[in-house]
Amino acid sequence: MVNPGYDHFEGEDWIDTTPPPSFLPHVDEVGATGAPLKSASYFIGSMCKEYNEDFMLCKNEDRNPEHCLKEGRKVTRCTIDALQKIQSKCLTEFRAHWTCLDNKNQEFGRCREPEKAYNECLFKAFGWKKDIPLAPTNKPQIHERTPLA
Amino acid sequence: MSAMFVVTGTGIQYAQNKRNEGKAIRYSIDHWDQKMMERDKQLTGSKRGQTDNPVAPPEFKVNSAWKVYKSLRNDII
Repeated sequence: MVNPGYDHFEGEDWIDTTPPPSFLPHVDEVGATGAPLKSASYFIGSMCKEYNEDFMLCKNEDRNPEHCLKEGRKVTRCTIDALQKIQSKCLTEFRAHWTCLDNKNQEFGRCREPEKAYNECLFKAFGWKKDIPLAPTNKPQIHERTPLA
Repeated sequence: MSAMFVVTGTGIQYAQNKRNEGKAIRYSIDHWDQKMMERDKQLTGSKRGQTDNPVAPPEFKVNSAWKVYKSLRNDII
């Protein structure tokens, strides 16, 4: 989203190298890129539900970045924790799934076999089940559907 | 005639390979995906590079970029 009037201009990139102020508590940033994050997204969502909801409600009150720094730190730490847990037990399946996603335009529907192995590994290790919120309950969820034989 | 097809075919494949580092092309990219690919560039140095370490390197905190434009107004230099 660029300022209106500047849509077709080529801007320059300006990098501000001043570090964050020292009175803020230090937090490590999440180092995963797009495909691993998308692969782990439902599990991060179910594990970090309260922190994410707190952050979104806080942002709803006031979009000023300074207002929600504390909730943001909690969200970051919870995500890092979830990713570390996934990688401690199910590293090969996780990597297989996100490399598949990376090659298929990051679409879940084109990577069902690696996803099946990945979900089973996570269920065996932690008891986590991938659950799509607000899905209709009278039919199986889309990742659990079996093809019509 | 068919040589022209071959040449354009190889040229297009070479360009696509170079831009996507050997992976398939990403299509239907919306603003979310564009911003995510910019973030991937900050983390790994290229828009299609991926890593999965949970904690980012310390350079990640200070290498985000603002876009700056020359002003369109005539009275500002």
